[in-house]
Amino acid sequence: MFSKLTQFAGRLDQAMVSGFDSERFDSMALELFGLQWELNPAWQKLCRSRGVHPQSVSNWREIPCVPTAVFKLMDFSCLPEQGHLRVFHSSGTTGQTPGRHRHSSQSLALYEQSAWLWFKHNWGEVQDMIVLLPPPSLAPHSSLAHMIETIRCRENQTSDCFKGHVDGAGVWCVDWEPVIEELQQAAALGKPVDLFGTAFLYVHLLDELETRKLSVKLPAGSKAMETGGYKNRSREMPKAELHAWMGRRLGLLPGQIICEYGMSELSSQAYGRNGDGLEKAERLLRLPPWARVRVVSPENGEEAAQGETGLIQVFDLANAFSVMAIQTEDLGVWEDLGFCGLHGFELLGRSAKAEPRGCSLMTP
Amino acid sequence: MNLPDFFIADLPADAIVTPGLIKSACETLKRNRKQHLKSRTTQEIIHLLCEVGKEWRSPANPFRCHALKLDPEMTGFSRPILERGLEDFFAGFTVENWTALIARQLGEAGCLDAFSNQASNHTASLPSVGPGRSQILALGPELMVHFAAGNLPIPAFMGICLGLILRSAQFIKCSSKASVLPRLFAHSIHALDPKIGSCIEIGAWPGGDAPLETPLLEEADCVTMTGSDEAVNSIRMRIPARARFLAHGHRVGFGYISREMLGAGSVNEMVSRVVDDVTAWDQNGCLSPQVVYVEERGEVESDQFAGRVAVELGRRETFEPRGPISPEESAAIVSRRAIAEALASHRADVKIWSSPKSTAWTVVFEHDVRYQGCPLNRFLIIKPVSGLEDVFRGMDVVRHHISSVGLGASPTRSADLALALARWGVPRICPIGRMQKPPLDWYQDGRPTLGDMVSWSGFELE
Repeated sequence: MFSKLTQFAGRLDQAMVSGFDSERFDSMALELFGLQWELNPAWQKLCRSRGVHPQSVSNWREIPCVPTAVFKLMDFSCLPEQGHLRVFHSSGTTGQTPGRHRHSSQSLALYEQSAWLWFKHNWGEVQDMIVLLPPPSLAPHSSLAHMIETIRCRENQTSDCFKGHVDGAGVWCVDWEPVIEELQQAAALGKPVDLFGTAFLYVHLLDELETRKLSVKLPAGSKAMETGGYKNRSREMPKAELHAWMGRRLGLLPGQIICEYGMSELSSQAYGRNGDGLEKAERLLRLPPWARVRVVSPENGEEAAQGETGLIQVFDLANAFSVMAIQTEDLGVWEDLGFCGLHGFELLGRSAKAEPRGCSLMTP
Repeated sequence: MNLPDFFIADLPADAIVTPGLIKSACETLKRNRKQHLKSRTTQEIIHLLCEVGKEWRSPANPFRCHALKLDPEMTGFSRPILERGLEDFFAGFTVENWTALIARQLGEAGCLDAFSNQASNHTASLPSVGPGRSQILALGPELMVHFAAGNLPIPAFMGICLGLILRSAQFIKCSSKASVLPRLFAHSIHALDPKIGSCIEIGAWPGGDAPLETPLLEEADCVTMTGSDEAVNSIRMRIPARARFLAHGHRVGFGYISREMLGAGSVNEMVSRVVDDVTAWDQNGCLSPQVVYVEERGEVESDQFAGRVAVELGRRETFEPRGPISPEESAAIVSRRAIAEALASHRADVKIWSSPKSTAWTVVFEHDVRYQGCPLNRFLIIKPVSGLEDVFRGMDVVRHHISSVGLGASPTRSADLALALARWGVPRICPIGRMQKPPLDWYQDGRPTLGDMVSWSGFELE
């Protein structure tokens, strides 16, 4: 059975490269569900408890999703227990058990292919990279660091583009002085750069620029990837506000900031641009053709109507060696992209804390 | 029913509330207090409060009718739940109860009206005869400001009542989405006694609006607050040194059922009382139980007890439905259910019962005694234990945040269990089924509410 999964991964890899036919998504999803049912005992048990088995499912929408929270409790993998190469952990509050996603060389290769191809499709030409994250050697469990490393390797850039490090408490930090100098130098030379970072790291960078009373006008052709989450690492601010601030301090125009949505439990990412004056389809987050988004009402589990807030589910064929149907804790709305029945989505927030309201009792 | 615009919160939605308006409202309140409230007697105020309570329990009262006709989206509760919550609260409005509250917390009921010989429970005992004799008088703050939490209306109602007993002018700052019930309550006081009503102001805006809140804090002599710890801390930092700040952050309640109550004669009563507590205000109050610990080896086993609670929650949903909740709250329930479902699919000692096709109610049965939060809104976690030691271990992480314990135990064991719970740090122990029905004179978070608000004046006699 595992060899069938390997064959599936091979066919998927080829299809990704040669241009994935969206029409094939449904049949491939059902095939993968059948394979994962056999090879992923934790998922099989969960499906059985919900009364679902491969013969009862006729459409990818009916495949039961594994909530990301459950990755903290058990191993949802088709891989043998031994011999994995990497384990990606979900980010979260320090002290909590992270969710785990195991990868072998095979599954990692599929992850990298999926991440690279869809990144390239959305990003275009890559300039000199400045990455506000620690390198994978310092953050081996970060799927985000691994994704950026994949891009770096395929773009033949030097490893010193990673500017972050990890302090004794496990917090990601950046030595801002050289980063700011590098940005100023790029501006002075008129040489475009590509910035990569999380929302909270951009807040820190912009704070540093504010403190120094500096603004940098990054040259035309520069871009910034902003990926969500604050995790209590900085004050939070609405996305539009952060992007406007990035515009003021870094000279980035709408369309030059590209939002990425991904998580350790997935192998594919969604991209969208933020900014007024952009087409709706450009602003919405879009997954690659080998993945689908579904937004469901948290109240009754039914598919949410277009524009109605619900929980985001992602069906990702590139998760071939773990579990392809994931229910996130993120809330969003979907919109029809107007072609091939594909949907884009907008992120609206996360589910309420399970702690008593206002009492962050479990936070150390 | 069209409410007259007596209060700032009555103004149309597009009216602009400015810091100047807040400051001038505070000045008016103080002036009105001086004219209309300061010289009222305790007896007059108690009489007024009892009248207010009677009105709110009367089916024909226009304010009550208006409250019960409101869209649940506005109040957060279905009509039956709101009706039960209001009835339970106002049922306690009797002369005896109000008098007992003052006597218990301040020494004697007359101490707010004139110098009295009797020492308060909360002041050092003074000689009443001979040299050094003195008399004492309790004085309420001139202006009290209440920051009311948005989840349920009772703390705002109670704050207003306590303020009136102390003859304080009051400004109640509500959250922008939850001002309607406090407004109706204040209007009902205004209708019975417009002069006293003119010593109350209700404002509503989103929390954390420093420009509006600064004049309030500057004018206040005493600030009370119920709300999240985060909101409490943000206000605490801005309180002027001369003002008193009485804050109640969110708390955790739990239940404890002893094994002798799980026999055929009492188990149904226990199930019904647990469900009374979970459905009261849809489990949104600080006093609501989030977890119920059940002693093992009863006639009905703890998992069967959990199953019966689930059946009863399902039955209640048909005539006392849960109110509407936000997608974020629904998603939190979905997330916690998912964890329990996944565990239940792998382990026999975890069970889950939940409302089909909705998040209306959930019961999770699990052996892990540790408290791990609760998404509320009728989500109950039932844990079997061998005794209180397991509970103390499980709840240790929130030991200093416990509000209330609902106890279901035989009369022979109740006193011992209560003593052990109190010594561990529980400020209130009540019969299960009454967790959301504290008496007027209860010690909220272990403190005398009125006692903390007053100041004392001593008069030393020749």
